Amino acid sequence: MAFKPSKRSRKPIESTELNLTPVMNLMVVLIPLLLVTAQFIKLGMIELNLPPAVGSGGVSQSEMPKEAGLKLNLTVTITDKGFYLASSAAVALGENGEGPTIPRLANGDYNYDELTKLLYEIKKKASGQFSDTEQIVILAEPEVTYQTVIFTMDASRSVKVNNEQQPLFPKVALSATVL
Amino acid sequence: MAFIPSRIKRHDTGEGEVKVMLTSMMDMFTIMLVFLLSSYSTEGQMIQPSNDLTLPKSSVEKMPEVALDLSISKEWVLLNGKPVVKVTNIANYNGMIIPQLQQELLRYSTEAEAMQVKYGKPFSGLVTIQGDYALAYKVLVKVMATCGKSKYPNMRLFVYQKA
Repeated sequence: MAFKPSKRSRKPIESTELNLTPVMNLMVVLIPLLLVTAQFIKLGMIELNLPPAVGSGGVSQSEMPKEAGLKLNLTVTITDKGFYLASSAAVALGENGEGPTIPRLANGDYNYDELTKLLYEIKKKASGQFSDTEQIVILAEPEVTYQTVIFTMDASRSVKVNNEQQPLFPKVALSATVL
Repeated sequence: MAFIPSRIKRHDTGEGEVKVMLTSMMDMFTIMLVFLLSSYSTEGQMIQPSNDLTLPKSSVEKMPEVALDLSISKEWVLLNGKPVVKVTNIANYNGMIIPQLQQELLRYSTEAEAMQVKYGKPFSGLVTIQGDYALAYKVLVKVMATCGKSKYPNMRLFVYQKA
């Protein structure tokens, strides 16, 4: 059962209304302006180092300083079976000692998480022992798509450990020796 | 049981003046304005991604730079918006260096080097590559090899940032 409204509210209210028209004008101009200039997709950029084998005749490559110490020469090869990992220290083998190091998942996707995990292990073991623990060379079969290569770069760039981004192998070089 | 207003008051609708309630609209506009202002960046989008290709997604967080624009769309390789060579030709080409592309790139680099001598604008050898996400690796590598051999060794790949 509703209450009968109180008689107090029947007092005439002084009408002190704000004049909202100028504010509305402002809004009507500002909102379309900001909507037009807003960017909903963000562009990013990946810096690339030249593949040493391909660009040896390039301008800056010939003046590359020779680094001392042991080289790790970490290489990830993307094939249609999965990822193959190799370095100067060892060749990571797949199960049963053959096949790709990290095979594709059952649904056909590449196993980027596993790659990141494995690279993190390698990074932990290799740091201090080798001079090039920032670099990685990515190889791919001719028909591997650009997106797969980019995802592989993402997987090898950094890793999230305890909610902290740690760099893995941010200096990526592409190579073409598979072709 | 609902309260029944008196008969007199039921027809008491003021002086016939209709007022629009602007308060809720103002609320909405204020929220939109705050959201848009917060997402507003003064840097602006200097790079327009090409329409006939879809860039791949990546988790990279680096902001794009402006440089010589090389797009590899589904059909053509474009240099600064000008079609240079067909993608299918590159895919079927046996060598690593694509002659048509190299010729164009060298033309741009000579111009840029002349600018460096005349006006002191340094030539960085920077080229930005926009590639379609479904592009085959063999095409990408050939294009990049050509860039490297044509005085453009510093390459940047454009991607969409993952949200």
